[in-house]
Amino acid sequence: MTARTRTTLAATLCVAATVAWLVTGRGEFWPRWVYFGVGVVLVGRLVLRRALRVPAGRRRWLALDAAVCALVAGVDLSVWVLSGGGYFWPIWTLLGIATILGSHGWVVSRPPGARERELAERIAALTRSRRGAVDRQAAELQRVERDLHDGAQARLVSLALTLGLAGDLVRRDAEGAARLLEEARGTAIAALDDLRTVTQSIHPAVLADRGLGDAVRALALDLAVPVTVTGDPPPDLPPAVQTAVYFAVAEALANVAKHSGATQAAVAFGQTRDTVRIDVTDNGTGGADPARGTGLRGIIGRLDAIDARLHVSSPAAGPTRVTVTVPREPK
Amino acid sequence: MLLRDGLIRLLEAHDFEVVAAVGSGPDLLRELLAQRPDVAVVDVRLPPTYTDEGLRAALAARAEVPGLPVLVLSQYVERLYARELLADGRGGIGYLLKDRVSDIGEFVDAVRRVAAGGTALDPTVVAKLLDSRQRVLPLDRLTAREREVLAQMAQGRSNAAIGSALFITEKAVAKHTNSIFAKLGLQSSEDDNRRVLAVLAYLET
Repeated sequence: MTARTRTTLAATLCVAATVAWLVTGRGEFWPRWVYFGVGVVLVGRLVLRRALRVPAGRRRWLALDAAVCALVAGVDLSVWVLSGGGYFWPIWTLLGIATILGSHGWVVSRPPGARERELAERIAALTRSRRGAVDRQAAELQRVERDLHDGAQARLVSLALTLGLAGDLVRRDAEGAARLLEEARGTAIAALDDLRTVTQSIHPAVLADRGLGDAVRALALDLAVPVTVTGDPPPDLPPAVQTAVYFAVAEALANVAKHSGATQAAVAFGQTRDTVRIDVTDNGTGGADPARGTGLRGIIGRLDAIDARLHVSSPAAGPTRVTVTVPREPK
Repeated sequence: MLLRDGLIRLLEAHDFEVVAAVGSGPDLLRELLAQRPDVAVVDVRLPPTYTDEGLRAALAARAEVPGLPVLVLSQYVERLYARELLADGRGGIGYLLKDRVSDIGEFVDAVRRVAAGGTALDPTVVAKLLDSRQRVLPLDRLTAREREVLAQMAQGRSNAAIGSALFITEKAVAKHTNSIFAKLGLQSSEDDNRRVLAVLAYLET
């Protein structure tokens, strides 16, 4: 029903009642009860719609409660006025309504319980990490674009140019053309090198081929400090988790090689029923501060996005232990 | 696919006979076992999984036919894979970056070396081997020259080849290799391949 038909209908009812009263000899003014009925319907509709505009949740229930209470109070007061006043009986309904509305308001305004606080914090953390993940992704794409643009792309342009020159020269100066071709080969290899660096920084090849366990073993082999790797991650870890953990371990191992002065390091995979745990330990000097390094901060951001936690224990005399815990997906 | 056709052309131009060219891991394994070629050139990544299908097929074939010569090509070289390829200690193993194909002479040389039961490891792998363990292994007792010789040796080169690469006589190379073996506590041997494997085995421990 549109607003116009609704208004027309209401007006017609009121006018008809008034006309009927005029025609039937103007006794007691009963049409006021018709006005009252029409008014209750219109006003009721209005306040309920108002209340429903409040966002879903406890506040909407309170608004609905308030709307209904206001309507009941309005009806009672109107009836009292229309029936000629006298003993102010609506006081009792008004008192009841005030009690109901007051206690409801008190319940809503009370501080949230522990469970609810936990959920609110979790939502805040998720919002933060989602924003972080999006920002990081954008920055990462920008870096890849820049690397490709300045590296492989530039080299391929120069390669095309050199090949063009060689083609130009091949009949007149075979020797010069051969020199240019040799140069072109060098450029092609350099372009391949650039591409390799970029693709490895996005997603290392061993990780794609073999998964997290072997990728970490390959990392360990390449480190200047001997690293023993024990255990294996569960094979069903999602790819995003594997990548985040891989870069976390890579950063931790790089720090071992760069800062710790260690002669031995170890990576251990372990798991409980609902977490996967990766420990990177060394026998170095300790005193590592995760708040200082930018590398570790980036890693924490990455881990946040998969709900994983990073813990660094590094007393001044060593040893350093970096622990990553990842919640397992509920089965 | 692009690389395969190019390689066939290249190898046939250098008097190799190409007995089979396949495009997937299972096909590769079947052909390797059926044809028992003098040497196989294999890409690490092959269908159906596009992971390390080629490498696995090569390893499986060598488990069946010990010492079957295989030259593995890849966009990346990983020490982990080098170790797996060399693990059976039998030689006839090559592991090179695809880029190396562009140096035709070197590449054909590597194919022949692998076919003859030798090794051809990519210089990148060798460099990683040498870089990473310097601090903790007796390698730091080697002189700069000896380290150069070791790097060449690990790529599978003979003394004569090392001599010409470093512009020294074969005799001088032999002197260096003996000194390397002495410092690393290894028995010297005339066999090129055992030599490399010994060095690698030592570096892997």
